Amino acid sequence: MATEELPSEFDVVILGTGLAESVAAAAFSRVGQKVLHLDRRSYYAANWASFTFNALLTWIQQQQEEPQPQEVQDWSSLLEEGEELIYLSQSNSASIRNVQVFCFTSEEDEEEAPDTTEEEDSADPQVETEEEAEEASHKEGEEPEPPQPLPPPAQNQSEPEPPQTLPPPSQSQSEPEPPQTLLPPAQSQSEPEPPQTLPPPAQSEPEPPQTLPPPAQNQSEPESPQTLPPPAQNQSEPPQTLPPPAQSKKKISYAHLVREGRRFNIDLVSKLMFSRGSLVDLLIKSNVSRYAEFKNVTRILTYRQGRVEQVPCSRSDVFASRQLSVVEKRKLMRFLTSCAEETEEQRAYNGRPYLEFLSDQKLGDNLQHFLLHSIAMVTEATPTEQGLAATRHFLRCLGRYGNTPFLFPVYGLGEIPQCFCRMCAVFGGIYCLRHSVSCLLLDTHSNRCKAVIDSRGQRISCSHVVLEEGFVGAERKRSSTPPRFLSRAVLITDGSILPTDSEQQVSLVTVPPAAGGPAVKMVELSPSTMTCSAGTYLVHLTCPSVGSAHQDLSPLVTSMFRTPESPDHDGPSVLWCLFFNMADGSGVEAEGHDLPENVHLSSGPDAELGHEHAVRQAESIFQKILPEEEFCPPAPNPEDIIYDGDTGDTEGDTVNTGDTGDTDGDTGDTVNTGDTVNTGDTDGDTGDTVNTGDTMNTDGDKTSPGEEEERQAVSEE
Amino acid sequence: MSMEDYDYLFKIVLIGNAGVGKTCLVRRFTQGLFPPGQGATIGVDFMIKTVEIKGEKVKLQIWDTAGQERFRSITQSYYRSANALILTYDITCEDSFRCLPEWLREIEQYANTTVVTILVGNKIDLSEKREVLRQRAEDFAESQSMLYLETSAKESDNVEKLFLDLACELIREAKQNKLDNNDTAPMPGEGKAISYLTCCNIN
Repeated sequence: MATEELPSEFDVVILGTGLAESVAAAAFSRVGQKVLHLDRRSYYAANWASFTFNALLTWIQQQQEEPQPQEVQDWSSLLEEGEELIYLSQSNSASIRNVQVFCFTSEEDEEEAPDTTEEEDSADPQVETEEEAEEASHKEGEEPEPPQPLPPPAQNQSEPEPPQTLPPPSQSQSEPEPPQTLLPPAQSQSEPEPPQTLPPPAQSEPEPPQTLPPPAQNQSEPESPQTLPPPAQNQSEPPQTLPPPAQSKKKISYAHLVREGRRFNIDLVSKLMFSRGSLVDLLIKSNVSRYAEFKNVTRILTYRQGRVEQVPCSRSDVFASRQLSVVEKRKLMRFLTSCAEETEEQRAYNGRPYLEFLSDQKLGDNLQHFLLHSIAMVTEATPTEQGLAATRHFLRCLGRYGNTPFLFPVYGLGEIPQCFCRMCAVFGGIYCLRHSVSCLLLDTHSNRCKAVIDSRGQRISCSHVVLEEGFVGAERKRSSTPPRFLSRAVLITDGSILPTDSEQQVSLVTVPPAAGGPAVKMVELSPSTMTCSAGTYLVHLTCPSVGSAHQDLSPLVTSMFRTPESPDHDGPSVLWCLFFNMADGSGVEAEGHDLPENVHLSSGPDAELGHEHAVRQAESIFQKILPEEEFCPPAPNPEDIIYDGDTGDTEGDTVNTGDTGDTDGDTGDTVNTGDTVNTGDTDGDTGDTVNTGDTMNTDGDKTSPGEEEERQAVSEE
Repeated sequence: MSMEDYDYLFKIVLIGNAGVGKTCLVRRFTQGLFPPGQGATIGVDFMIKTVEIKGEKVKLQIWDTAGQERFRSITQSYYRSANALILTYDITCEDSFRCLPEWLREIEQYANTTVVTILVGNKIDLSEKREVLRQRAEDFAESQSMLYLETSAKESDNVEKLFLDLACELIREAKQNKLDNNDTAPMPGEGKAISYLTCCNIN
């Protein structure tokens, strides 16, 4: 099929399907430009891709193979007078290095010290269901964390509104099911399906109903401080008092991971979407959000002095927090309220470290740690104005959809570039994977690229080219020297780093810099995000590279998880892990490359948590080429499109098109193809809220139970 | 658009080689017309049709490939949340039939495991040019536990039946699901109530 020839004239040819290229492709196509979008890879999203476990193994293999020197084909015979060729680099691998894989679990299914509670199950050969059954029984029966010093919270959890459970705002939608608490076991079984059953993709985004993580969230609070004896030790020696809960489970084998491989969607990059960040805004504005679904990140954790703690970030969290004293709660609330707007006092600290500003607020170590590392997520040296800006951004994003400022796309981040590609295709963009461009054809008079020559020698004319930077040899690029890299680790584990009653937590874990190393951002994904199989968690670690990914991150992995190097650790076991370095996209300059002026470079993922870099890049390329056009205007809602041609009287007895109470009732089948943008209607309800907003709405009324909680906290003390 | 009155909403996704008549099937069903020539459907993501089955309103959201099948470059996300897949080939084109296993591999990789798949042989109005015998297609469909139907978008043969059968099957499954899951999983079409409360900010 792919033997068909590509059309030979386009406005814009785009190479690479990473986020920046895909957003640009959608933007161009949307305003009527003819777009050809190619990728030499066999998959979408370039270094932003997500893979099933098996596809990831293939990817690893490809990275580890020696890049075979591509014979450069000589296309100079295609040249006409006044033309020159610029050959593009064809190797895929320059951006990935130091790939290392470790498997810490057995090859085949086996049983590991069957726990007393689950005898009958262990006779059952069905591994997967067994695990689920076991986990379920943990929840109902024995507590995975016996030394629970506070019995009440565990109970409270089943009541719809005990003061201290404080259902996070998003719960208001799913609130009518008190049986919630009984569900988790059943849920983990049906869990692979939920997102599909959701209604209009256009509305379904961050649907609360099926995740039901909320109630459990409160559980984590009692646990974190109390269950683990304060170690106050260095990180390599985590406390040992708990009977490792993981041991009662049967260990998941490598064979099992392979068998369940399609349940995994493992991202090469690890990022989150700020709920008021530029990516979410763009998804909503362009209506691209209708192609994806999102989950809330349910909690923010931090790793400090060898233990994992929950960071109270919303108002309700703060009030509900058991690790903060009443005084701290007041201080924190006062601080967060006060930093909402800029004050004289703050300005006085401009240029001085944020840490200094924080410590002058006399907040105490706890709060200072949270504010610096987990809320602003900056370093100790970051200037105050930047720290405050980051803090404000965090606060603005909070509560838009959930209890934390972040969303995560169901099925992984690799979905997002693909969604923009779909939008491009819907507006006529042509897609071809496994297809590359060998060279640019330069018009020597105008110094512009007038065409590209693809790997089959087809000449494709175009007015502009957008190139993923990997296509351009180092000699033509202007980038930071030495090139910057990110260190990445991907772990498949058998449990959450801070277990709660819900197995569906999605957590951001901030790890402050240790011993001069960089801060590490860690994201723990549960099966509810459709990125890992039941019974496993997917953990992503990212930091700017100092050494190889393994050197940078494996000490942290050892200190936070049970691995062969930390066999006595009571945390979750690492079953399988991958380390690699990836080129840091922020190291490539936007301008100043030795390229024709109508060839635009885009870069891969950067080290930041959000997606602003790629979105900004796409927008600036777009505006350079089409300064007059709007960037990604809303695509028409298919329900509002009116078709040209016939006046549809749809025949058929059972079929009644018109009577659905459709807002534009008469749309049904009539009039006018093409670009009839609905405007009126959609704008009305789309606006800010489109899918993302709707289902997630959170009500602001958490104060009263919160205050109650505070009162209770007072009396407890 | 949001507060419509329907009992179920299903997402149906079409796949199959380029030129087998996917878009024509959709337009025939949703608009009752057979497009002369291939009017590219620029800017149309999916088409909607609401049908009534045994007194229940079923809204069908029917997604087309946006041409990405032309060079075998369909995004995985296209398959993600489909309730049903219509795998289409052209009975007058052997090649489109031989590609089916490839399509099935994609389905297996990316579609939901519970997706309902129906195999459709289109263009029976051109039966004099038939290259794929009905029996062969039926056997293949059976071996893959798919439903099978032959249609003509041009003559409107079986088009309505195709979508209505699918809708019935989806309703049946949804009801089954509801029983199995004891109401824990939201039904397709649930969660349609939308409200716009503002969010709680900390300040």
